Amino acid sequence: MNPVFRPVRELSEAIRARRLSPVVLTETFLERLERLGPRYNAVVTITRERALGEARRAEGEIAAGRWRGPLHGIPYGAKDLLAAAGAPTTWGAAPLRTQTFDTDATVIQRLEAAGAVLVAKLAMVELAGGMGYRQPNASFTGPGISPWGADAWSGGSSSGSGSAVAAGLVPFAIGSETWGSILSPAAYCGVTGLRPTYGRVSRHGAMALCWTLDKLGPLGLTADDCGLVLEAIAGPDPHDSSAADRTFTHDAGDTAGRRFRFGVLRDVAEGAEPAVRAAFRHSLDTLEKIGTVEEVTLPDLPYDAIARTILFAEAASAFEDMIESGAIAGLTAPEDHYTPYARDAVLAKDYIKALRLRGVVMREADRVLARLDALVAPGRPATAPPLAGEFRSLHRPALDPMGAIGNMAGLPAVAVPNGFSESGLPTSLQFMGRAWADDIVLAAARAWQATTDWHQRHPAID
Amino acid sequence: MRRMSEPAPDPREAAFLFELIRARYGNRLTPDQLEGVRRGVVAVVAQSTALRAVRLSNADEPVQRFVPFRADA
Repeated sequence: MNPVFRPVRELSEAIRARRLSPVVLTETFLERLERLGPRYNAVVTITRERALGEARRAEGEIAAGRWRGPLHGIPYGAKDLLAAAGAPTTWGAAPLRTQTFDTDATVIQRLEAAGAVLVAKLAMVELAGGMGYRQPNASFTGPGISPWGADAWSGGSSSGSGSAVAAGLVPFAIGSETWGSILSPAAYCGVTGLRPTYGRVSRHGAMALCWTLDKLGPLGLTADDCGLVLEAIAGPDPHDSSAADRTFTHDAGDTAGRRFRFGVLRDVAEGAEPAVRAAFRHSLDTLEKIGTVEEVTLPDLPYDAIARTILFAEAASAFEDMIESGAIAGLTAPEDHYTPYARDAVLAKDYIKALRLRGVVMREADRVLARLDALVAPGRPATAPPLAGEFRSLHRPALDPMGAIGNMAGLPAVAVPNGFSESGLPTSLQFMGRAWADDIVLAAARAWQATTDWHQRHPAID
Repeated sequence: MRRMSEPAPDPREAAFLFELIRARYGNRLTPDQLEGVRRGVVAVVAQSTALRAVRLSNADEPVQRFVPFRADA
């Protein structure tokens, strides 16, 4: 079988039945990473030696009847903010290109325990975009490129995680989201991305950008695959106090006949690109096949300002040394050389006010979501921007109420492909649910993917 | 919780805060970069003004869990 563009579940069944060798599978993806990775600026380090060691071990264990589960023998890539012993962990930043850690991040450890095979550290926007970059060329590995267009940005900050999955360089990848960093590359690269509930997955060994906003999650070809990966990486961790004492069991049950209750924020697609609005309107019709759709409202609050104040204050503190020392002048994006200094203007009182408002937003969002299975909205308001030029302005940042609310309230969301623009760039649909309802948003996304075939379309690569 | 009509950001606040930042970092920034920082400060002040326009009750606590520490607990 050709293993490229096959869901993890299919690969896993073939491996377990010994119709597919983990070693051959790993060699296939290593070859693609080496040959195609540079085309998309998707890769920082290929972990060939480690990968082949893990693949041989998986093959031996499975041959001996010791199958660890659905990720056993499956190659994957990790965003380069996750520590992996024996390889650089650059955080996408030129000044840190030789940084190494002695141990693996908890997520890497858990994936190893599940038998998955780390084949690459994937490219990312420098410091996960925390310095305020405004254009795609913001990583020492170059701007991430979407496999759907030579001049199309992959999104960020999990740029390589999105493009590597979309180009068939890995079956799945791990990304991180503080605000938009999983959903944006999932949308621009036309793949499925899961932002888990805050606290679902340990961040130990991951670069911290904003302690109260950072989440780790998977990107894959299907929502089912994301659920399989979440089950492997979720759970408490004594090294991360934010990691909740909750395990996660992926429910892969058939969604046929299940009826979902969806909500749409009034005017949520207002201001979106025409192709995105058209795809979203069409999606709402399709969603009627698997549930009901109703308009809902949230109080008029400055959602973006609240989330941005928290992000600015925490990021300024997390990178205080780099900012105060002037080391940010060594970053790739010219705007990252000075933008962070303005964050000294966030006053303590305003940060606390943002945290008080966060409580209001959490309660109001939960009040609305308690009656629903998920809020639906475009995954991003636009298709992939071109590589040159700013995609947001310093004066008027693009408003993203779903992203602001979802991230400040720590809510789970899944982004799935839902169409294409006239120029062939993917559009995206997101399902956002109550805290800890990761299984419900995944079920809704699985039901969507059982009804549509957007996730089965892949860019012409070879 | 009530959102009051949002006053325009006070340009004097942005000017004072920008001066503070210029005093701290100005010697390492070019005029163009300083102008970028000034615009960034204006944006931060606008964002703070939006927050201040929402009235909360005294009981609305910040979401910031504090847990007393004890190594053997």
